[in-house]
Amino acid sequence: MTSIYQINSATRIRFARRFLISLSRMRRASTLGPPSDEEIRTRTRRIRIVSYSSMAFAVGSSRAWSRALVLKIRNRARFRGILRNKCLASKKKRVIKRHKVSREMSKTDMLRRLVPGGAGMGICGLLEETAHYMTCLATQVKVMQSIADHYSK
Amino acid sequence: MNRALLPEMLHSTDMTVLERQRARFKWQQEQQQQQQQQSFFGDLSGVFQLQQQHQGFQGDLGEVVTRSVKPDPSLMDNGWSDLVGFGPCGYGNYNGSGFDVNCAISSTSSCPPAVVAPATNAKVLAEGREPVLSEKLNSGVARECLKKRKVDKVQNSTKVVAEDDSRGKRIKGCPEDGESKNTQKNNKSSSTSKNSNKENSAETSKDNSKVTEVQKPDYIHVRARRGQATDSHSLAERVRREKISERMKYLQDLVPGCNKITGKAGMLDEIINYVQSLQRQVEFLSMKLAAVNPRLDFNVDNLFAKEAFPAWATNFPASGMSSDMTNRAYLQFNQVQQQQQQQLVTCCGLDVGINPPDMGLRRTISSPRSIPEMFLDSSCFTHIQPSSTWDADLQNLYNVAFEQGTIEASNLLKMEM
Repeated sequence: MTSIYQINSATRIRFARRFLISLSRMRRASTLGPPSDEEIRTRTRRIRIVSYSSMAFAVGSSRAWSRALVLKIRNRARFRGILRNKCLASKKKRVIKRHKVSREMSKTDMLRRLVPGGAGMGICGLLEETAHYMTCLATQVKVMQSIADHYSK
Repeated sequence: MNRALLPEMLHSTDMTVLERQRARFKWQQEQQQQQQQQSFFGDLSGVFQLQQQHQGFQGDLGEVVTRSVKPDPSLMDNGWSDLVGFGPCGYGNYNGSGFDVNCAISSTSSCPPAVVAPATNAKVLAEGREPVLSEKLNSGVARECLKKRKVDKVQNSTKVVAEDDSRGKRIKGCPEDGESKNTQKNNKSSSTSKNSNKENSAETSKDNSKVTEVQKPDYIHVRARRGQATDSHSLAERVRREKISERMKYLQDLVPGCNKITGKAGMLDEIINYVQSLQRQVEFLSMKLAAVNPRLDFNVDNLFAKEAFPAWATNFPASGMSSDMTNRAYLQFNQVQQQQQQQLVTCCGLDVGINPPDMGLRRTISSPRSIPEMFLDSSCFTHIQPSSTWDADLQNLYNVAFEQGTIEASNLLKMEM
């Protein structure tokens, strides 16, 4: 069973490749001068989304969390224009709710929030998905770290 | 029926049942050794902290418990657990559990076998049951009820009402059904024998000691609670628990620094913290990349080469490559994009099988297979002119590079962490 949890080097390479390709596709709005804060923030968000999506696509549909993540990204891309305003409006309400609920939230609920697609799983499956998700996150961090280091030299 | 006792019955949840039970019990009481019963009922009052202090009612209580469960085969399991728990638990915790009437009736709480014993005994003798079997059943069921008591104490109140109602209905339906009793007897014996196998011997001795004080009671017609853990259920739960613990152990290996933590709660905390920290790291690195990106010329192939090559460069001595190759690799590294692409494509081209003699070597490199796809689109594919020695060496280097590259990255990560 443990072999299922381990990530192949193929997955790692697939992720790296997708990530790099997506990064290269990202263009700067204005190449003049240092990037503004706002621009950095938008780029940060985009790069983060790109990294998660690259990981999800690299893993494919073999895990439940990757499937859930892929669906979420596709839906988000599809309805980005429609939902953006809605999300901004409802964020305030959500924040208020969270303050009330967080005290009663159990640890498993928190774990479900962290792992994509964790809402519809039992504890057994949730732990399994968490293990695989953790290893994928670790490889993601390593690859991004190496890329960032390479570019900072 | 003795209507004089009706006022006490008002306390009970099921009056009709109690009326009948009381009447029957009174009849049987006369036939038994009343002194023994009295003593037990005295204990009962102390044990249960019953609101009704009437001894007769307490006796009836025991009778109710035993009798009510009896006639209904469908509720066998429920009734079993209901009544049985009385025995050892009551004697064990005289005032500790704070039993009330509901507890006493309902289930998992304890019912001293003494209470049940005389009541049931009378019936048993009257109806010609086997005391030995009942004793076995009593002990087994008592233990089962003990176990259930710990689990289900909370649910007593709700279940009591339901069960009393159901019991009442069924008792009205078939109060003196001999056949049903017999079938229950068989079923009860089988279930209790199973339970007795599983329970502790300590409890058994306790039960037996208490049981021997009184005459052997007959719990054949005692009903276990509905929905209680039967053998298949407990087995499935055990399997599920083992699965979860296995996964927690694996997670313990994954999360760094979790060797000392025992218990699910602490482990879950650590897991949540670790996942959150990883996500924060991704966020931080994406910020770093966002700041860094615009400055440099971003070239995918370039990056891939650079990512792989530094590992090569550092590991050349380790892999025993000649200095000639090292120089060539560095030259390639510093040269124009096209050449780099070419070299990479060369490496990948080997994988793709452009160089037939290297097919055998190609098999050794399984992981980088995905990379050739990237370069299939590039036009440099046509510029490949590999030499045999260069191919072999490159393949080795490529293999090593990816291994080392990841190790290097992990080292970097460790340093940062």
